[in-house]
Amino acid sequence: MTHIDPVGALRAMLMIRTFEDTLARRKEHGFQLLSSGEEAVAVGLASALGAEDQLLTGGRSIGPALARGVAPERVMAELLGKSGGMNQGRAGRGHMSDPQAGFFGAHAVVGGNISIAAGVAMARQLDGDGGIVAILFGDGACGAGALHETLNMAAQWKLPILFVCNNNQLSVSTARDAALAVANLSDLGATFGMWARTIDGLDVQGVAAAARDAVRHIRDGLGPAFLECTSIRLRSHSTTARETRSRAELAELQTHCPIRRHAAALQADGIVDDVGLEQMRQDAAAEIAQAMAYAEASPYPTAQEVLRHVV
Amino acid sequence: MIYQLSVPAAVPGVEEIRILEWHGGAGSTFAPGDLIVELETHKAVVEVRAGQAGVLREIKAEPGDWCAVGLRLALFSDSADEPLPEGDATATDILVDFEVT
Amino acid sequence: MLYEQKPVMARMFFREAVTRAVREEMTRDPHILILGQDVGAFGGSYREFDGLYKIFGPDRIRDTPVAEAATIGIAAGAAAAGYRPLVSITYMDFLMLGFDALINYAAKLRYKTAGGLSAPMVVKTTAGAQGQGVAHSQCIEAWLMSVPGLRVVAPSTPADAYGLMKTALRGDGPVVYIDHKRLFPTPGDVPVTETSIPFGQACIRRDGTDLTLVSHGYMMRVASDAAQIVAQDGISCEVIDLRSLAPLDIDTVAGSVERTGRLLTLEEGQTVCGVGTEVATRTFERTGPKPWIRIGALPAPVSSNPVLEAACIPDAPRVADAIRTLLAR
Repeated sequence: MTHIDPVGALRAMLMIRTFEDTLARRKEHGFQLLSSGEEAVAVGLASALGAEDQLLTGGRSIGPALARGVAPERVMAELLGKSGGMNQGRAGRGHMSDPQAGFFGAHAVVGGNISIAAGVAMARQLDGDGGIVAILFGDGACGAGALHETLNMAAQWKLPILFVCNNNQLSVSTARDAALAVANLSDLGATFGMWARTIDGLDVQGVAAAARDAVRHIRDGLGPAFLECTSIRLRSHSTTARETRSRAELAELQTHCPIRRHAAALQADGIVDDVGLEQMRQDAAAEIAQAMAYAEASPYPTAQEVLRHVV
Repeated sequence: MIYQLSVPAAVPGVEEIRILEWHGGAGSTFAPGDLIVELETHKAVVEVRAGQAGVLREIKAEPGDWCAVGLRLALFSDSADEPLPEGDATATDILVDFEVT
Repeated sequence: MLYEQKPVMARMFFREAVTRAVREEMTRDPHILILGQDVGAFGGSYREFDGLYKIFGPDRIRDTPVAEAATIGIAAGAAAAGYRPLVSITYMDFLMLGFDALINYAAKLRYKTAGGLSAPMVVKTTAGAQGQGVAHSQCIEAWLMSVPGLRVVAPSTPADAYGLMKTALRGDGPVVYIDHKRLFPTPGDVPVTETSIPFGQACIRRDGTDLTLVSHGYMMRVASDAAQIVAQDGISCEVIDLRSLAPLDIDTVAGSVERTGRLLTLEEGQTVCGVGTEVATRTFERTGPKPWIRIGALPAPVSSNPVLEAACIPDAPRVADAIRTLLAR
């Protein structure tokens, strides 16, 4: 079993952060759900999936889509409503998809994509092709009935699905502890007899290793797995939602940034030096600048397209 | 005396039934409680049992046939040698019990 | 043609027409699945899947727990991933539990993926009042008609049940197929040869000259009975069975209203934003305004109380009165 490439993981996380920062800096960036602070979950999880697997997510989907390998310029164009997006700009934030890249798609109704993912997993099971499905959702979805119904059915039918809870500890402004009575969110999976674990979602190598174990369990036909990754959200819920935390709290959170942490670990191990790290930042900036240029140059759909692909 | 067996209004809303199986043929003797015929509705089977003794004389609808509620399914008589009436002359309804399963 | 060839028909129960359509389509297309409560060895709450479990087995016919939201979601996901699930929702009232997957996901999937993905699934459900109370009696098809991307059909005969189910199972987007409890006891003739009925084609059940009476589902029987009643007074009703609610066949309705000059719409659901209101609006966009009365349930929940239920739901005498009122205009 190959381990996650630690330098590649750093590059991927830097690219996601740069992407979201660049998007947020654009004057008209629309309503976006950014995932800064959660990059290790996306990148660690993606490293455990194969080309034939599919990933689905809730609305906070930029990091996961990029980690899965969807081309950044197509994601950027999609988020800005441009025709060059992977869904011709029609899906936008929270609904984009690229099944060819293994990203089956987002569905921005909290909890809503979980049963959809189980259906995709059922299709994989019936196809018997060995492919699995991962569904990424937040702690906010853990109070939703759709999750509980789906956990039960997935366990009952031994579906090849990995439930990944990115527990960023906030549902808009409501703290996880104020919303959910369960001790560990992974207990939700354990209740149904699943492989279940709660891990540090700020440690990309830890996420990768746990996701690998979970995926192996599922591929072995032992049924679904539930992985809770405890992470942080460095930005407000959305680009239009007001921040409810103090500057001091946010500054403290920055010290837990998964990218900083992984970079520091690589530097401490002598794998990356300052020059190398700076080069990576510049590479990410250049790649995302190109993505933004592509998106800016891409046209909007015409108004006449509004009735296309309805039925 | 000649009697007729009609399709009973056994299930609310059912206007037409399908004959599933006869438990006897012309000449068969039935005692009270004997199963005469099974009828099929959209979701149930209606077992029609004799409520009085009698001899089955003539079957008017075969298995698979459809028959509206109230229509004649068969003729019975008290004894095997009574002459049957010509045509559709009215006859007294034979006493039956039915069970819906 | 010298002789019009009438198709050979076989008489069967409503449920048998559904079973036959599903069996034929499942035989033809191995990607069709059935999911729902009690659909397996039990054969469905209305026996509409009788015998299929023995033929197709537990992989393709799956009993689900009482979890309508996840069941419809799983069906939508499987549909998006290449299968054609038929989901059985025992009562239409429970369809509300699965609206997110059906309406927010399945009905919008083709649009939001620019045609890349679609959700070819059928949600088969059963509507209507039959003594089962406020949450087991509703007809909410009008809610569904307003969802872009969703198709809605409601047969009134076994032949249409057969033909519309065949089309639904061959479709490329989500379909809500609606049976009515009170239609189940009634058998009907179904063509022996394999046929399907395209969506968006209404059917004129009775020719008439004085007014156009438009309905669907079980209310078609009420409509026919009412037409029969007023025929004794010399009133001639043209009775149209919509069959398909989305898409709607306004051509047939508008053509009829052009001839008769009057419209009466009849449904078992609520009239506010109802099927009849939609039919009338779109008809009058073509024909210009015409005298119109809409009939539906009274604006109250449908009780299991026999007196209150009967008072709430339209019946033939009420429709006959409305016909006379409309004729007086």
